[in-house]
Amino acid sequence: MTTTDTTPAVYELRGVSRSYGSGTTAVNAVNNLELTIGAGEYTVIAGPSGSGKTTLLQLLGGLDRPTAGELLFEGRDIAHAGEGELTAIRRTKIGFVFQQFNLIPTLTARQNVEVALAPTKIANRTARAQELLETVGLGARAEHLPSQMSGGEQQRVAIARALANHPDVLLADEPTGNLDSASGAEIVTLLRNLADEKGHTVLVITHDPAIAAGAPRVIRLRDGKLEEPAPADGEETNS
Amino acid sequence: MFYISYMLAELRRRRGRTLLTALGLAVGVGLVVTVNALSTGLNQAQAKVLKPLTGLGTDMSVTRPLVIATTSGGFQSLTPAERAKLRSEGGPRGFDFQSLKPGAKFSSDRFTFGTQQTFPSTEVASISKLAHVSIAAGSLTLNAVHISGTVPKQTTTATPGPGGFSGGGGGGFFSGPRSINFDTKSVTGIDETQPTLGAITTSQISSGAYFSGTDPYQAILNVSYANSNNLKVGSKLTLAGKTFAVIGIATTPLGGQSSDVYLKLAELQKLSGNTGRVNTILVEADNASHVAAVSTAIKKTFKDSSVTTAKDLADRISGSLVDTKKLTDKLGTALEIVGLVAAILIASLLTLSSVTKRIRELGTLKALGWSQGLVIRQVTGESLFQGLVGGVLGVVVGLGGAALVSAFAPSLQATVGSTSATANAVTGQGGGPGDFGPPGGGAGLFGRFLDNGLTTGSSSVSISAPVSISLLATAIGLAVLGGLLAGAVGGFRASRLRPADALRHLD
Repeated sequence: MTTTDTTPAVYELRGVSRSYGSGTTAVNAVNNLELTIGAGEYTVIAGPSGSGKTTLLQLLGGLDRPTAGELLFEGRDIAHAGEGELTAIRRTKIGFVFQQFNLIPTLTARQNVEVALAPTKIANRTARAQELLETVGLGARAEHLPSQMSGGEQQRVAIARALANHPDVLLADEPTGNLDSASGAEIVTLLRNLADEKGHTVLVITHDPAIAAGAPRVIRLRDGKLEEPAPADGEETNS
Repeated sequence: MFYISYMLAELRRRRGRTLLTALGLAVGVGLVVTVNALSTGLNQAQAKVLKPLTGLGTDMSVTRPLVIATTSGGFQSLTPAERAKLRSEGGPRGFDFQSLKPGAKFSSDRFTFGTQQTFPSTEVASISKLAHVSIAAGSLTLNAVHISGTVPKQTTTATPGPGGFSGGGGGGFFSGPRSINFDTKSVTGIDETQPTLGAITTSQISSGAYFSGTDPYQAILNVSYANSNNLKVGSKLTLAGKTFAVIGIATTPLGGQSSDVYLKLAELQKLSGNTGRVNTILVEADNASHVAAVSTAIKKTFKDSSVTTAKDLADRISGSLVDTKKLTDKLGTALEIVGLVAAILIASLLTLSSVTKRIRELGTLKALGWSQGLVIRQVTGESLFQGLVGGVLGVVVGLGGAALVSAFAPSLQATVGSTSATANAVTGQGGGPGDFGPPGGGAGLFGRFLDNGLTTGSSSVSISAPVSISLLATAIGLAVLGGLLAGAVGGFRASRLRPADALRHLD
């Protein structure tokens, strides 16, 4: 288990498991994880396919619930939270970035950012969406449809959307998986800056060794378990 | 505003499905509009046929039946004077030509009774006083027979039957002079003080005017009689030696009480020697729901009377009009239900399919903090919009269908028949001991009027399919409801999605 001495913990996982099926066919996607992630950390979760990375990310994002253990988010046990509470947490505290961008093809870049603002009471959503697009360097592309943008640009729109509600945490699932190396590097830099400069807690799932190599902290998963003890907060792990 | 932009963008993206769903609902709703319009058209056609008698749908016609029952009082319970009067009405009607000499000219006028027995007009006052009776008006319908000719030089020696020239008499034979002219017309005396309730009302005057003033020699003619005799407003008509001025022409559609000539009641009573007597009372109840009660009360007050209600008349209408109405009521309703259910089912399946294709998108919305309610609202809103489009298209389809019905629907026949009992009586099969009816001889010449003098026969009615604003509003409402139901199905499916599963879904 990794503890953070200097920063308050955003996540605390105590014996968290997520299994599918039952009996002899049961599969433990995440198995008895003990983990703490501090606020403002930039953490990479690495591991081969089927190691439980995405399942772990979904548990952390409140998209799924563990079948065993405690999962504390900012001190609240979200393992047993109601659907309404999880929805509110996702809306206000967590931003998601997906490998396939998950933009709505019929909406412009600005409207795609507004999708995240729609369920909130934020005034002047259009201006806020535009401002976010400026932040990711796409102010001039606000009225373009996803099909009119490159993969890297689409992922930037997705990051702008993830940042719409000032989340504490950004969860990125293979954010460079569909990008060329140059675009991927730009996205990684952008995410890294969000942690280092804006103070967001950023967790990036990847199986790209290059991305893991540059991260201050890497959590390696294999068969749903931590492959090796994660290094202490602030200690770089290059293996 | 964002939600609407999103909704419209999604509907545009799947425009094929959107159009298919809207068209499905449009066909269902268009079917409802067309069938309902046809049904309204058939109702109006039936109402047109019934209008003369039904008025507001609360009218009744009271007569004394041709055959008075021998049980429960019946004929024997009548006063001697009443019995004598009825006997005279049913007595021999022949003309006595035996005293005429060959070559002599003759001319005679008589009023005879068809199938309706008279009764004292005091019954009108009695019925007027019954609870829930709005108006009651008496009338007297008779047959005016004018016979004229010259006695031929050679006459037969046969003895005339009781029916005289009627050709009846239970198979009677013709006798007497052969070169004679008959002029028979039906005449009804109506209470002109009740212009809204009578054999002829002011609304049935197609030209000229209704009775007015104190002049007793005014006549209104039935349009068919006037046409066949080349008479018009201003013409003169001689009846029983009196000259009447034709002041109006009346149209009595099928099912109405019809006579050739209408006079003021008092004048016909005087001419025919029936002062103070009528043979029909028209009654209007104060409310349609009281018709049955009033009918029962009349039968109690006026013993042995026969009460015909508008419903009785409606039941006697048959023909293709009624068959089509029944078909529309049964098959049309089934068609509407099947059409609507099919349309909603198609819309629901397409919405479900659409939701399935958007699982990943809906999962993303949930990941971004959209509540279940918002996701359902979005899916349902899209479906509702499709319903609205379907409703508008359905109105167009329905109007087109109704226009086609109006343009190409064949004319339908409405037939008003008589009851079998009356039919038997007028063909001379009544008249057993204790019964009271006209002699068989009356049937041959005077058997034209059945029951209350209602015009029997067939009438051709053209069918239209009128579409009202309320029907169109209902149609759009049904389509929107269909969209809402389809949306609810899709929304329910969307609400059941677990975000984690939805995000794993491959498009």
